[in-house]
Amino acid sequence: MSERYVSLERLHRLKALRRSSAADASAPGLHGSWLNDAGDLLFRPKTIPYDPARLSEALGATPKTNQYGEYLSVRCWCAQPPRYSPDLRPLRLLLPEAPDEIADPEHWLFLDTETTGLAGGSGTHAFLVGVAWWEDGGLEIEQFFLREQSEERALLFALRERIAERPILVTFNGKSFDWPLLETRYRMSRKISMPSPRAHLDFLHPARNLWRLRLGSVRLSELERHVLGWDRGADLLSGLIPQIYFDYLRGGPPERLVPVLNHNQMDLRGLAALSSRTLSLLSDAENLGLDGLELFGVSRICEKRGEDTRARKLYEKSISSILPTETDRAARRSLARLAKREGDYDLACELWKNALGNTRHGYEAYEQLAIYYEHKARNPEQAQQVVRQALDELRGAIQVGDITPGAHREFKARFDRRMERLERKSRRPLLDALAIEAQA
Amino acid sequence: MSPSESLAPRTRESLQTIQDFLGTLVARYRSDEVLTAVRQFPAREAKFRPMPAWVTSALAEAYRRKAIEQLYSHQASTAELVRDGKNVVVVTPTASGKTLCYNLPVLNAVMENPDTRALYLFPTKALAQDQLAELQDLSKRLDDGFGVFTYDGDTPSDARKAIRERGHIVLSNPDMLHTGILPHHTKWMRLFENLRYIVLDELHTYRGVFGSHLANILRRLKRVAKFYGSDPQFICCSATIANPGELASQLIEKEVEVVEDNGAPAGEKLFVFYNPPMVNRNLGIRRSYINEATRVAKEILARKLQTIVFANSRLHTEILLTYLKQANPPKPGQPEPIRGYRGGYLPGERREIERGLRDGRILGVVATNALELGIDVGSLDACVMAGYPGTIASTWQRAGRAGRRTGSSCAVFVASSAPLDQFIVQHPDYFFERLTEHAYIQPDNLEILVNHLKCAAFELPISPDETFGNVDLPALCEQLGEAGFLHQSGGDWHWIDEAYPADTISLRSVTSDNFVIIDTTGEDRGKPEVIGEVDFSSALTTVHPNAIYIHQGHQYHVEHLDFDKRKAYVKPVNVDYYTDAIRYTQVRVLEVAEEQAFAGPAARAHGDVLVRSQVVGFKKIKFFTNENVGSGKLELPENEMHTTSFWLTLGHSLLADLPFGLSERQSGIFGLLYALGSMATLLMMCDRRDLGTAVGERPPSAASEINWEDFAVSANPPEAEAFFEPNLYIYDAYPGGIGISEPLYRVCDGLLSRTLELISACPCENGCPSCVGPTADRSERTKEVALEILGRLCRDAKFDSTRTAETA
Repeated sequence: MSERYVSLERLHRLKALRRSSAADASAPGLHGSWLNDAGDLLFRPKTIPYDPARLSEALGATPKTNQYGEYLSVRCWCAQPPRYSPDLRPLRLLLPEAPDEIADPEHWLFLDTETTGLAGGSGTHAFLVGVAWWEDGGLEIEQFFLREQSEERALLFALRERIAERPILVTFNGKSFDWPLLETRYRMSRKISMPSPRAHLDFLHPARNLWRLRLGSVRLSELERHVLGWDRGADLLSGLIPQIYFDYLRGGPPERLVPVLNHNQMDLRGLAALSSRTLSLLSDAENLGLDGLELFGVSRICEKRGEDTRARKLYEKSISSILPTETDRAARRSLARLAKREGDYDLACELWKNALGNTRHGYEAYEQLAIYYEHKARNPEQAQQVVRQALDELRGAIQVGDITPGAHREFKARFDRRMERLERKSRRPLLDALAIEAQA
Repeated sequence: MSPSESLAPRTRESLQTIQDFLGTLVARYRSDEVLTAVRQFPAREAKFRPMPAWVTSALAEAYRRKAIEQLYSHQASTAELVRDGKNVVVVTPTASGKTLCYNLPVLNAVMENPDTRALYLFPTKALAQDQLAELQDLSKRLDDGFGVFTYDGDTPSDARKAIRERGHIVLSNPDMLHTGILPHHTKWMRLFENLRYIVLDELHTYRGVFGSHLANILRRLKRVAKFYGSDPQFICCSATIANPGELASQLIEKEVEVVEDNGAPAGEKLFVFYNPPMVNRNLGIRRSYINEATRVAKEILARKLQTIVFANSRLHTEILLTYLKQANPPKPGQPEPIRGYRGGYLPGERREIERGLRDGRILGVVATNALELGIDVGSLDACVMAGYPGTIASTWQRAGRAGRRTGSSCAVFVASSAPLDQFIVQHPDYFFERLTEHAYIQPDNLEILVNHLKCAAFELPISPDETFGNVDLPALCEQLGEAGFLHQSGGDWHWIDEAYPADTISLRSVTSDNFVIIDTTGEDRGKPEVIGEVDFSSALTTVHPNAIYIHQGHQYHVEHLDFDKRKAYVKPVNVDYYTDAIRYTQVRVLEVAEEQAFAGPAARAHGDVLVRSQVVGFKKIKFFTNENVGSGKLELPENEMHTTSFWLTLGHSLLADLPFGLSERQSGIFGLLYALGSMATLLMMCDRRDLGTAVGERPPSAASEINWEDFAVSANPPEAEAFFEPNLYIYDAYPGGIGISEPLYRVCDGLLSRTLELISACPCENGCPSCVGPTADRSERTKEVALEILGRLCRDAKFDSTRTAETA
């Protein structure tokens, strides 16, 4: 079996040559694919001649040249969203270490990529890199499109120049997806050195804090609809994007790429608008917060950055508007924590007393209250009473099956230990007294 | 080897004890029919060489503090060759200090230039863990310590970044290199830019399919290294095999220097061949080798000698464990003195057993080949092998588990009645005076190569003037392009698919899925417990519904097999039987590569085939007596694979005038194939599991295809009689084939004559497990028929090259 040349029949029988994921070809919504159900190509790439002029026309693109060759650039300007000038204060909430330059919107570069897959690794390409910046009161968008993998260096070089002009990178999930992927591409190029942005603002993380509780998901399109009140209209499912690009590479009509470019434009506009909305909320949630959940989100970010006073005010405000039960509990718990930290035990105790019950938070409230009575109020009897109450609660819960055995075991052990110590403590003065008596 | 060895308790009297034990055996069985060989290997003196002058003083000092002041000769030769920039393979038996062979030159290079990086590959995670401890110990003895880390599936993700940046030495395995490192090479830039050494330990394990995969992974590794401007040197260590240099150079595709002079000392060793006594000479039935191995092990354990018992399957491991535990119950308050050790045990359990062996708390261990590799368990006093391990190399490797540097040790091979075992036990010279096996790999197996080519394209675009193995690369890329995996741009071929190709390729078996085994006893309390796992290929035979699965000597009944979710639900039981799965296999010829007619009329051929197999039922076998006490039917999914096969076609006229009935003839054909399969293993020096056998009907024309199974049961179908032309297949048990079929075709006459020798020399009357297979379900004349057919085939043993036939 050491044949130097491989017979074609043999090749055709190879499982490895067949597309194993038949699901790929038959997945619903893939009617646009140039593969039939059996996974065979419906036409051969060579049958459609590659026509660069048709592609440029379809995309409204201009070929440009740099020292690494040609690349394709698509530009447009949008009045929406309007330019926004952020304050330094809310930006520091997101990136405490960032240079002052971060507040200069002229240095911002929004970035979003479309890729050939989500798996990452050296075989995943960014075939469309969209960047955008504020210009003439609106947003100027430039998209670099990879007509052929061989043009990647020219594209990467052009992108590097854009980043050098505007070194504050602004993305949505760029820290864990777009940027590492581009770093891989630059390393793979072996020629173009990696751009070095001065700062990278990723709005996914604040979006999670602000809106995940309300929306469940924080996909950009969801945020646009529910936070910005936008409607994208007809947009393609992002899962189809790689296949559309592959079809194009295999000789499919370039017109089919237009929705992909539009999708990327909308992502950039959505990102720009979302960044404005996020930052204005962070700077003035007190007046701009739409609902208690947003206020709650801002307070969490403030608390994380050590802005306790502001966080406390916002928690109070969010509680006074109507919050869902779970969030309300979390807000009260955080508020109690802040109150305790500031020595406001009246407020803290009130919050804990209201939180007592057969939940994780409830047991933690029992615990906090017991700690308070033991160490601050110096009232071990009352501490014992709280612990006894907690143990009663646990017993009741396990009897009717309202608590999992694991959680029961964990909390019971904690309260038993506390009780034991409290009992020991309460006995000690008596023993001491006896000892003194004996000496006398 | 390691300092821990000296911790194991050791007695000067061990030689006396072993002699004493042997005396017992000799006294019991006077005849040399049972003890067919007792060979004594004298102690060997160490050959020392001074520590080379180029070793930095800090490193030399660190070794000195580990009581290593001079080197064994093979360590010194290896270090010098590496120093000279050569690729090296060093052949070392167990416990000869092989790790120093690679650690010394690698660490010295790191001391000289802290940018130096090295990648160590071990076939298993456990071996890497073992090395980690050794290297960390060395690092602590140095002022400028070096970074050494394991990188495998267990590495926490927050530690991975540090390893990529700071690890001077990264310890990993081929699987992790394949799925975790190479596809993400840009993250490993520091490593690849400075990669100077690649260490391949346990090289001999990279044979067959696994080796063919590794060769392709190394092709990918070298491409990536070249991309970052490095050209690493290879240092390989192998157990004794016939062709270490050839295997190494096939794997790394570079010239290799072989170092074979072992300078390590060894204590005196006895090697005993034990053939269980005959109980029925006519039927060729011997005492059960499992029971006999148990007796031997018991004798040794009773003398408080630390012993390892090897069995060839998980099932037999568990049976032996059950027997030996019964004989050696733990003393009150003491830990279990006898333990089991095999792949399915969880890692924590295995580490504990390894420690117990090193510090002597465990007296005996029953293991599968999982302990054959260089896991450090110290050295034991005795080794009992229940059944021939399959190759000469692994027999020596297992025997090497027993062997003190000082004092004596012994190894006992207890033969089963399988033909290969009987051949070896009755021909001790064949074993003792022969070189060990060749390790075959087939790096250009298309199925394997194409899969790795996809991974290679994912990692870096493929340039048309590259080479990747011995194939027409442009043609293959063109094909992959047409299938939609690759796209040519600027001359290079680029990966264009969303899938991550490495994820779909498993290096060790056809699929990477393991089945977990769940004990449902605690279910009511919400605590079902995972007790172990089995790989996909053995799952169907070991955890099918109603199977008895044995784990640590406890029996579990398989209540339910969830095939899709890869889970087997079991409950502990206590029954007096175990189960044995029945597999049904069908082979269809796809393409004949070569075919030649010869005596008979018959033909030999090799080519591509489609093998379908299915587990269709199981037998219940009683412990100790091995009676068949019941059976069951199973409906399990069918497996299909394309592979290569060698086959013999027995022509119609050859069989038509045989003076036997139809069912006798069929029996004879199955018996003949049984013996042929055994001899093929011997001639090809491969593992029994590398080959599959099947009988199939060769239809005279496509229209009149006959179902062999129906054919075999019907008494006398008239039309079948006319068309009866069976094919006897011996196929490569791996998709795409691993290169055994063609050589088998070339040595066909040797195969036939040796098989004739085996059967005619067998003392049984009507056939036995040692020649044509067990007679229970066969005709009484099986042996006679097989001999008659073989006689006709061998009558014209020399093949006439002018009589090459066209494909029928």
